[in-house]
Amino acid sequence: MKTNILTLFLTVLTFAGCSEPRRLAPAPETIFNDHDLQVVTSFHNDRTRTISVLYGNDDAVANAGKERAGHVAGEVYKLVTWNLKGNPLWFGGNINGSLVSEETVTVVPGRDGSPQAGYTLELRGGNNRENAAGQKAERISFIFAQQASVFP
Amino acid sequence: MNALKHNRYRNAAAVVAGILFTSFVVLQVNSPTIANPPVTSEFHGPEEVTAILKRSCYDCHSNETNLRWYDKIAPFSYKVAADVEEARKRFNFSEWDSIPKGDQEGKLWYIVNMIDAGRMPLPEYTATHPSAKVSPAELGILKKYVTEISRKHYATGDTAHIVGKPRVSQAPTSLNGIRYFDDYKNWKVISSTGRADNGTMRIIYGNDIAVKALEQDKIRPWPDGAVIAKVVWNSQAPDAEGNVKPGNFNNVQIMVRDAKKFTETEGWGFARFNGLELKPYGKTASFATACMNCHQLAEETGFVFDIPTKRVGR
Repeated sequence: MKTNILTLFLTVLTFAGCSEPRRLAPAPETIFNDHDLQVVTSFHNDRTRTISVLYGNDDAVANAGKERAGHVAGEVYKLVTWNLKGNPLWFGGNINGSLVSEETVTVVPGRDGSPQAGYTLELRGGNNRENAAGQKAERISFIFAQQASVFP
Repeated sequence: MNALKHNRYRNAAAVVAGILFTSFVVLQVNSPTIANPPVTSEFHGPEEVTAILKRSCYDCHSNETNLRWYDKIAPFSYKVAADVEEARKRFNFSEWDSIPKGDQEGKLWYIVNMIDAGRMPLPEYTATHPSAKVSPAELGILKKYVTEISRKHYATGDTAHIVGKPRVSQAPTSLNGIRYFDDYKNWKVISSTGRADNGTMRIIYGNDIAVKALEQDKIRPWPDGAVIAKVVWNSQAPDAEGNVKPGNFNNVQIMVRDAKKFTETEGWGFARFNGLELKPYGKTASFATACMNCHQLAEETGFVFDIPTKRVGR
């Protein structure tokens, strides 16, 4: 009997804890420090439940905006990916949640003088997604293939 | 002596009762009546949807107001009449086509979100009209309905050829004095969003004051000088990998915090610049009231919808 009462008490306490209204607070830790890079473009994916913003320096923006034909040494791209979640304030809208990864592509002069692209991946928040060496080239092409968004 | 005192109390009580009764009668006589004008263009939707709307919304948001006897007793009748008048002004299911065709879908999403947030039907109304409450299952029906109508519209995505950069020679200015500026492109991105409800996607920038306010959790209210800029594109249809990318540029929206200047809209000044020509939105300065009506839903985050958030204990 005593155990039953204790169980009931604990259950009530648990539910009371759960139902206590929780406040919606800012999550500034999800804001990416772009170090003066500009937005090139953005996209989201309902299948992978992720949302990404591609940043770039002036050279990268010029290339993605098709103002420049080939790649030049000095271009820096950062593709930042967050989890996608429903906007708690608006049913019908999705918004970025926590940071997942930061991929960086830098174009440097190669030994023969032609530009070469380097790739690094940083994972955030205990994410342990593998990034096999073979995927590097694929990711670089993916990032290079993004077309700049039209800004006014 | 005691009897005299007793009598005096009795007389006073009679006078007070008389005054109260007379006031009550006067209030009843002058009690506002709510007319039901003719239904000119009724809202049409699936039966299960209209049944919910009729039961939960039509008493105020239509010309088919069905007053209960207790709604007609003053002083309550005054509050009921004021609520119905305001509700019909916001939108009226009996005059549905008075809302421009292009805005009707957005209005339905707004209605569903108001119910989702527990703001509608008004809690004081459901307290006395419990049958008007929308159950979670009914809310699910409404959510499914709006999701389906929007999917139908936006499934193909923005298929138009993406138009490139024009140059607007002079920065346009909104009716409330907010001027378009380019500098937001150098600000920090505070969030990015995808909107299935209207087929758009956005990047949201904040100036230093706005970012600092987010970092310090000082957004209720936001500090003066905080500015948020939202760039909106039409969404393309998902590509083979499922990526939804931006199509044509749609608009830029700007929120400027000045508690003294924008007193009628919770301290926020709103502006929207449409299309690549950046045409300021709004025919009269009161356009911002419509912005604010919707932004009331974001009261918890200082009336800003698109900031990164998390749930924390109070």
